[in-house]
Amino acid sequence: MALKRMIENWSRLRKRDYYEDSPFMWGMSIDLNKCIGCGACVTACYAENNLPVVGKEHYATGHAMHWMRIERYWEEPEGETDIDIKDGEYPERGAHYIPMMCQQCNHAPCEPVCPVAATYHTTDHLNAQVYNRCVGSRYCGNNCPYKVRYFNFFDYWKDLPSPLEMQLNPDLSVRSKGVMEKCTFCVQRIRAAKDQANDEGHPHHVEDGAVKTACQQSCPTQAIVFGNLRDPESEVAKQWEEHEVELGRHEQDKSEDLRGYRVLEELNVEPCVMYLDRVRDTEA
Amino acid sequence: MVRRRKKHLLFATYDDFEKAREVVGELKVLDLKEMVIDNIELYSPIEHPEVEEILGDIDKPIQRFTFFGAITGAICAFLLVAAAAQSMFTVQPQGGKPVIPLPPDIVITYEGTILFGVLSTLIGFFIYAGLPKSLRKYYNEKVSEDQIGIEVQMQPQHKEKVREVLKKCGAIEIREVEL
Amino acid sequence: MSNYSMKDIEWAKINKDVLKSLESPRKSFWVVLGVCLVLVLIGVAAEAYQYQEGLGVALMNRPHFWQLYISNFVFWIGMSHSGTLLSAILLLTKADWRKPIYRFAEAMTLFSILTAAIFPVIHLGRVWDMYWVLPYPNQRTIWPNFRSPLLWDAAAITTYATSSALFLYIGMIPDLAICRDNAKGWRKKLYSALSMGWMGRAREWIAFRKTYVLMACFLVPLAVSVHSIVASDFAMSIMPDWHITSFPPYFVAGALYSGCAAIITLFVLLRHVFRFEEYMTTEIMDKTAKLTFAIAMVWNYLNLSEYASIWYSNDMFEKEVLIEKFTGPYAPIVWGMLLCATVAPFAMAFKKVRHNMWAMFWLSLVLQLGMWLERFQIVSPPLASNHEPWTWAVVWPGLVQLSITLASFGWFTMLFLIFCKIFPSVSMYEVKEMVFHRRHASSRAELQDLDKVKEEMIKTEEGLHHGA
Repeated sequence: MALKRMIENWSRLRKRDYYEDSPFMWGMSIDLNKCIGCGACVTACYAENNLPVVGKEHYATGHAMHWMRIERYWEEPEGETDIDIKDGEYPERGAHYIPMMCQQCNHAPCEPVCPVAATYHTTDHLNAQVYNRCVGSRYCGNNCPYKVRYFNFFDYWKDLPSPLEMQLNPDLSVRSKGVMEKCTFCVQRIRAAKDQANDEGHPHHVEDGAVKTACQQSCPTQAIVFGNLRDPESEVAKQWEEHEVELGRHEQDKSEDLRGYRVLEELNVEPCVMYLDRVRDTEA
Repeated sequence: MVRRRKKHLLFATYDDFEKAREVVGELKVLDLKEMVIDNIELYSPIEHPEVEEILGDIDKPIQRFTFFGAITGAICAFLLVAAAAQSMFTVQPQGGKPVIPLPPDIVITYEGTILFGVLSTLIGFFIYAGLPKSLRKYYNEKVSEDQIGIEVQMQPQHKEKVREVLKKCGAIEIREVEL
Repeated sequence: MSNYSMKDIEWAKINKDVLKSLESPRKSFWVVLGVCLVLVLIGVAAEAYQYQEGLGVALMNRPHFWQLYISNFVFWIGMSHSGTLLSAILLLTKADWRKPIYRFAEAMTLFSILTAAIFPVIHLGRVWDMYWVLPYPNQRTIWPNFRSPLLWDAAAITTYATSSALFLYIGMIPDLAICRDNAKGWRKKLYSALSMGWMGRAREWIAFRKTYVLMACFLVPLAVSVHSIVASDFAMSIMPDWHITSFPPYFVAGALYSGCAAIITLFVLLRHVFRFEEYMTTEIMDKTAKLTFAIAMVWNYLNLSEYASIWYSNDMFEKEVLIEKFTGPYAPIVWGMLLCATVAPFAMAFKKVRHNMWAMFWLSLVLQLGMWLERFQIVSPPLASNHEPWTWAVVWPGLVQLSITLASFGWFTMLFLIFCKIFPSVSMYEVKEMVFHRRHASSRAELQDLDKVKEEMIKTEEGLHHGA
């Protein structure tokens, strides 16, 4: 009976807990204490994900396509310090670096506003973007509190000089103009690892470390940890537990020596990326 | 084969609605006495709500069209959203969101109700107003300007009596037609 | 008796005066039409360039994903509100002063929707795939996402455009019949086809009136819903200063406001160009101005209460945006809006201003400028200072956006001018009704006066008798 099947579907698909039975929930943990702001992750991301290098002019007009970016914030020294701040120059110290990419929110604000359902939540708890379906209304970009969605304002691939198209990653597409894109947690690598696990006969378990995102791989200080939050043995799950960061809260209450937090948690968007606060020696 | 009886028609124009009202009154008196008139129709450049009193109730239940159109619209719009959402659920996981999203469904249902309501009201209008229609040959263009037209249908033998009445009340022009 | 000032116009003269507006116009008409056409062509060229190169040439970027296209969309949808909504409300409340002005107001509604409808299309990144937004059965069983307010927009605009076009058309049928009876050549054919054999029979009138009122009953809630839905584009988002509960009524008030201002502008222009002084009287302008003033105050109230609720909520992000709005790079826009849309309408409190046509003309332009700035300051400043400080950036619309904006004004004016040339912009049959009823009311009033005089005379006579 179609009706019976429909009602069964409803009870299966409509669950308060997001895909409770799914064995995967990809998450990340970034230790800001280790981040030195070198930008290796950004470069790796460009290489892995076929991101166009837009050039100085387009960067200046805000058309850059860096799915991963290093945000710099400057802390102004309090009181008398030996740090000089010269006019028009960046201070010697006091920089905070935050590598910022799509936070793969569980309550993603970008998803419900897409008119053509080009962005949706996969059962892996990834916030997927279907390039083929996107019509470019850019509503998702506006509704993203992290502003980590990037729109192809031009056909950048046309500017690629002749032999360089050979270095494009064949595992994923090159996006044309008028399409929104963003960090996928290197979904092509996740897919490959899952396929391999499937071949090995354990489709519901992917070894921790079998998937490494490009940014994680290239981080010289190993500030980025990526893995399956549903796997209690994974490094990332352990870190989340250690710093008592939990899903389903919009504020993490805990003692002062725990450094974990999620960016803009109070918006209740449930990001899957945990940051570890930087400890600073203010005396130095 | 039944032969249609020939009908005769007189079309008179007046410059004042009061005169037209008088004519209709007179014609009705005549009709009461001798049963001569088959049909009276009034043509006017503006709407006169009093017409119903003169010519008798003309029932135009357009609101029924509106009502059923609106209900159809509501149901169709609701089903469209519900079915589209249900269909999407089978091809794309929706992250625990309700299968049939009620708030947007209410919005679309609201718009659908109004759209179908308006369209079916329009259909009702065309049916009850008898439009579209080809223009009658005896139609007097003065009617769209400032004159009132009265069309009287009767048997040919009564034509003169009617004409007399029409004239008596100050008809500007009387056109005679055989159908 | 000023109440019955329009009672003495001959009906034949009404026909003649209005039909004259359809004949060969002044030279300036063609000049304006030419200018509009040039503007439209420039806009088409800009759009072609943008289509070819990508949306980047419009100088939108991240975080300014939306800019002038969306604020223009809101502006034009807003403009479309007054025409049909006011016409319908005034019809239902039996305010007869609507009769000489509702036709062009409804035409304004239709054409501003047609203008507004262009913007979401231009705005899309992949215009060529626009039809994916429509719910049509397809092989992939993929449907649009009805959770998105953009889909609600699509539904609301389709309904509104259809309904107001039909409302305009139905209300015009008796007039089209008049045109048909007086026209020659291609116009005769056009009007004959459109008037569908309307002859003014009693059954036609009764069905007509009923339909008209029924449609008006639909249009009032529809118009309110349309701009509420447009407001939902913003209010449903998570952005600070967009996510505001009072946006829907605020948008509706703003829409009525700018729409009324547009009615006043066109009122003065049509009155001048077509010499409609006898129909578009100072009395009607006075009433329209009073209505505009009242709506302006509603809008002001909602605007100020929005500021207050943000301020007292003490929400970090929203407060930041609010402060940025008034002191940041977009401050001239915000202060300009307050000057044009909050302060300027107080001029309408004075009778001298309300009764001066050209003063009202310029004032209405100022109000519209204010409302246009309001739409810009709704869209842009919150994007410039959003949740994520690293992305804060100020972007001003580029040449492409500006020329498409100008083109939209050209497009609207062009459609409106063509409409005025082909269809009667003053409703002839309703003005006749107005004249008819006012004449009757005044003669009835005179009769009552006579009765009173008579009674008094009798009384005095009686008094005299008693005295004797």
